[in-house]
Amino acid sequence: MGAALTLRDVRHRRGGREVLRVDALDVAPGERLAVLGPNGAGKTTLLRLLAAIDMPTVGNVLVDGVRTSPGAVALRRRIAYATQRPGLLSTSVRRNVELPLGWRRVPRPQRRARAAAALERLGVAQLAERRAAALSAGEAQRVNLARALALDPALLLLDEPAAALDAEARQAFLTDVERALDASTTTVVHVSHRPEEAFRLAGRVAVLADGLIRQLATPEALLREPADATVAGVVGYENLLEAEIGPAGVVTVGGRSTGLRAVGSGPAVVAAWAAGVEIRPAGCAGIPATVERVSPGPGRWEIALTAPMQLRAHLPLGASPPRAGERVAVVLDSGLATVVASPGQASRVRVAPASPACSPS
Amino acid sequence: MDPVGEVLARSAVVSISATLVALAIGVPLGTALALARLPGRRPAAAVVNTGMAVPTVVVGLVVASLLWRSGPLGGLNLIYTLRGMVIAQVLIATPLIAGITMAALQALPADLHDQLIGLGASRRQAVVRLWLEARVPLLAAAMAGFGHAVSEVGAATMVGGNIHGQTQVMTTAIVEGVGRGDFGAAAAYAAVLLGLAFVINALLTSVQQRSSSWARP
Repeated sequence: MGAALTLRDVRHRRGGREVLRVDALDVAPGERLAVLGPNGAGKTTLLRLLAAIDMPTVGNVLVDGVRTSPGAVALRRRIAYATQRPGLLSTSVRRNVELPLGWRRVPRPQRRARAAAALERLGVAQLAERRAAALSAGEAQRVNLARALALDPALLLLDEPAAALDAEARQAFLTDVERALDASTTTVVHVSHRPEEAFRLAGRVAVLADGLIRQLATPEALLREPADATVAGVVGYENLLEAEIGPAGVVTVGGRSTGLRAVGSGPAVVAAWAAGVEIRPAGCAGIPATVERVSPGPGRWEIALTAPMQLRAHLPLGASPPRAGERVAVVLDSGLATVVASPGQASRVRVAPASPACSPS
Repeated sequence: MDPVGEVLARSAVVSISATLVALAIGVPLGTALALARLPGRRPAAAVVNTGMAVPTVVVGLVVASLLWRSGPLGGLNLIYTLRGMVIAQVLIATPLIAGITMAALQALPADLHDQLIGLGASRRQAVVRLWLEARVPLLAAAMAGFGHAVSEVGAATMVGGNIHGQTQVMTTAIVEGVGRGDFGAAAAYAAVLLGLAFVINALLTSVQQRSSSWARP
C-alpha cells in the first residue's frame, strides 16, 4: 500500500530565508507521526504545507498520491487541520462541529449524528447547545478536536492541541485524545514541543530543528540513541556535556573519565538523564563537582551541580540529598547516558560498561 | 421648499442606495486589504484610511467637476440628478465601510481564516464565515456609512443642486431654510432627519446586539 502522505524535495522560504527543508518523508495509511521540535523549528510551517494552506516554494506534498494545492478544495476536504488555538466560531458548539460537514454537503441528519458522536468521543456531548465563546480552554480544545474528527478525514493534522492547558487538564485531555485516535484509522500528523506528548500519541517521531528533520524514529529509539546533541536536547536529556573521545574510546568530560566508551575519536557530547547522574562522596572515582542547589520536585530531589560545567541530577525523594556547597564526585550511569555527535559530526555508537560501586576511603 | 414627506423619501432613497452600493464595494475591498498578501496592500490601506477623513465638500467638488456638463463624465448627464448624488455619497461612505471592515477582520483571531481553510472551507466560504464572525463591527460599518451619507450636505448641494421637486434632500432643505431665516421649517426638517437616522440605526442596532450576544462569553 502506498503512503498516505508523501513529501519530496520540499523547500519553503519566507522573508528570503529557507525555513523548512524536507528531502523525503512518507507517512503510512493509519500511521500516527509526531513532529517534535522547539519553538521556531518549522513545525507549524510544515503543518500548513500539509494542510495545503501554503504551497512549498519548491517540491511536492502528496496526499494519497495527489499533489495538494490551496485551490484543490476536494483534496483539502480529505484533510482536517486543528490549529493550536481552537478557532471556534461564535455560534453553538454543535453548529461549530456541523459546519465543516455542511461544506462537504453531508445531509443534515447525518451532520447532526456525526457531530454528536464526535462530541461524545471527546467527552463534551453535554456542551452541544452551549455558546462556543463560553467554553473553558480545555472544553474548547476538545470541541476543536471533535470538529476535526467528525470529518473522518484521511489525514488529521494537530498543532500543539494541548499547548494552552495546565498540567492536570493536559493529562486528562491527552487521555481522551489517545482514546479517540485509537478508535480511528485516520492518518495523524501531530506537532508538539513536549516530548512526553509526542511519545504518547505517536508511533514514530520526527525531530525537527532549524527547519530540518534531524531524526525520524520510534520514541524508544529516539530516547535511547539520539542522533546528535540537538535531538538529545529536544527529546529531553537534561545534561548535554561537551566531551572528548580519547584513545581506546574512553570518553572524558573536563579531562575526567566518564566511565563511558564510544567508537571514534575527537569531540563529542555526552547526553545524560538527570536520573542517571549518580552523586558519590568526595574522594570517590568520578568527576569532582560542587552542589549548587537542592530543591524538592515531584517525587525527587532536583540537584544542580557545577563540575565545572553545569549538571542536573535527580535523587528519589526518600534518599537523603547532599547539602548545597558540598563537594561530591559524579558518575554517569551508563544505562542512562549516551555519547552523541557534536553538532556537524557523524553519529557515534556508545559502548556501555557498568560503573563500579564505590566505598570512600 | 418641497413637502417634508417628499424630501424625506428622496433622502432615504439616495442615502440607503448609496449605503448599499458602498457596502457592496467597501466590504470586499476591506476584506481584501485585511486578508490578501499582495504587494501594495499597506499603501492601499493608508489610502482607504485617508479616505475616511476626506471632507465631504472635497468629494462634492471632485464629483461635480467630473460630472459637470463640460467635465470628463459630463456626457452621462448625471449632474443635478439623484444618481449623481448617490455616486457622491458612495464615494463618501465607501472608505469608511472599507476601513471598518479591514479593522474588524484584522481584529479576529489571526489563525481563524487558516483554521477554516484547514477544515475544508473554500475561499468564499471562509470569507463569508469571517464576515459573520465580524458581523457586529460590520453592522457598525453600515451604520457609519449610512450616517455619513444621510448627514452630509456639501456634496449633496454641489452635485444635486438642491433643485425643488428633483434633488432637494433633508440636509439641503435645512440649509435652505436657515438661509431664508425660516428656522421653524429648518428645525422641522432637522427633527424628521433625526427621526430617519434613528429608525435606520435602531433597526441595525437591534440586529447588531442580537448578534453580539453569541460572541460574549
